[in-house]
Amino acid sequence: MSIVEPVRLTACGCLTPFGDEAATHRALVEGRKALRLEPVLGVKGGDLVPMALLPGRALDETPEPAWLPAVKALAQRIPGSGWGTVRRPVIFTSSNYGIGSLYAHRQVAADAVHLGHCTPHLSVDWLRRELGWGSQITLYSHACVSAHLGLLQAERLVKAGLADEVLVFSYDFLSPFVSAGFHALKILNGAFPAPYQVQETGSIGLGDGAAFAVLGRGRGDLVLLGQSVYNELHHFTANKADGSGFAKVLQPLTSRLAGRRVWVKGHGTGTLEAGRLEAEAISAAVPDAPLVGWKGSLGHTLGSCGLVELAVVACSLGAGVAPGTVGSSGPCFSPSVATGPFTLSGGEAVLCTSNAFGGAHAALVLAHA
Amino acid sequence: MPLEGRTPPWSSPMPEFYIQALNTDDAGAEEPSATRERLRGAFPPGATRRMTQLGMLTGAVLAPLAPREEEAVIYASRFGESRSLEAYLDGFPSASPTLFQTSIHPSGVQQALIGRQAPCTQLFPLSGGEALVTQALLTAWLAGAERCLFCGGEERGTWLVEHGAASTESFAFAMSLGRDPSGGPYIGRLRLEQVDGEGALPLRDWFSLLHQRRPFDGLVACGWRLCLEWR
Repeated sequence: MSIVEPVRLTACGCLTPFGDEAATHRALVEGRKALRLEPVLGVKGGDLVPMALLPGRALDETPEPAWLPAVKALAQRIPGSGWGTVRRPVIFTSSNYGIGSLYAHRQVAADAVHLGHCTPHLSVDWLRRELGWGSQITLYSHACVSAHLGLLQAERLVKAGLADEVLVFSYDFLSPFVSAGFHALKILNGAFPAPYQVQETGSIGLGDGAAFAVLGRGRGDLVLLGQSVYNELHHFTANKADGSGFAKVLQPLTSRLAGRRVWVKGHGTGTLEAGRLEAEAISAAVPDAPLVGWKGSLGHTLGSCGLVELAVVACSLGAGVAPGTVGSSGPCFSPSVATGPFTLSGGEAVLCTSNAFGGAHAALVLAHA
Repeated sequence: MPLEGRTPPWSSPMPEFYIQALNTDDAGAEEPSATRERLRGAFPPGATRRMTQLGMLTGAVLAPLAPREEEAVIYASRFGESRSLEAYLDGFPSASPTLFQTSIHPSGVQQALIGRQAPCTQLFPLSGGEALVTQALLTAWLAGAERCLFCGGEERGTWLVEHGAASTESFAFAMSLGRDPSGGPYIGRLRLEQVDGEGALPLRDWFSLLHQRRPFDGLVACGWRLCLEWR
């Protein structure tokens, strides 16, 4: 009988306005918010909306992106070498890639330097050279479930024996391109997000974020028990009213959770309908599991949110305490929503979920090995 | 070597697909309005009004393959919705919510599938450069679905083209890929192998191979060789 080892989370880290995953976890446990009110159009002004930018970074992209030093520092923490080769490929995930540079070129300064990293491919090719990685790279872009697709493909590459280890690297830095878009959709407004909270008007915040995860066999204290994706493709910005998409993505994972204590790191952007459907579906699938969401503090880091928040989840498991739903005070759409931090006993599994435009859903289960 | 000449069929853990069906549309320099007029009959009345050119092209080539919920859809586009992107950027400071939505990758395939109300379990949208096709095929293989739909394309940009940030031509393809030769008739076969060496196969060149049903055998990315044969 052969024993197939599960794929482990060998390493994981993130960058948020609070700093690395440990600093981010600490801030969330303390209930602090990184979101600040900023002009939606950056240097061109506009309504004030909640955004969480890296310290000292302006919303408008600079010719050499101002986030590069922080991303380089994050990348230096990735264990191992030889990334971007056939046996150690890199999967990049983002919904923004270099779009801030394209906006800056067209609207702020017609500077040729911006154009060097203004498309997904150009942005990644420039960044991987800056980081000293090879050309064995994949780019996924599926809005706010992008990072989950990277994690799923990484697990599959390792399981199939097509790679020894896979690095998933995600980065999303805000620009007026994206803030104005969400503002036009009226979900980015002057109010701070209160995920899963019952209220009159929903609102989101947006955040800068980057993160990495290394998946492989044999090393690491955490293991991926399962991953799942589902796409409703019912409407661009709305989910099916019966919440079936939220339920379907959880269905394949519930057997992996049987007999375990579970807590849930949800998507929880702060919109009302999606928040209600998500909370109800999670409550039905794992009835007694506490549900938390962190976008009320970090803002929505878009295509990177699944990986940024995974790094905080991993940190929570190590620290023995999970941050609560910062920004929400109740009443909430489900009694499962935990608005404050809670202690972990060490044996829990964590269900992590993300959702995106087009009714896209993704989920994974992480636990101690 | 033609497919019939190889017996027994290849057997390898490396990715191998049987091409069950293929649709291509080489729209070239066609304007979006002309594409809308040409493809109007492929969509329900009024559906094309807000669709992008890439959305219409992708929708028209994908529709005959009748995507099913349990299948995997892999979508590849280097530049995505270039015209929407241009129009959205030029609309500032009044950002259009519709153009924002349609400019976001993977709007093209989402327009196609939402128009059909066609849910799918796995949707993997890729972007990228010279290795885009290879990575898309690897993604398709590892998706593990009995049938996988691989589609993609580009739409011709205007001012973005001057900056190398949009395609100079519009095109789209959609193919049905099976893992089992006994799963039904097939028109071709493709296989990826891990090898030493570097190569490139940009999306436009891949489209030409498909559109002209040309065979190919060579390096297509760092460490990958592709063999494409037609019946």
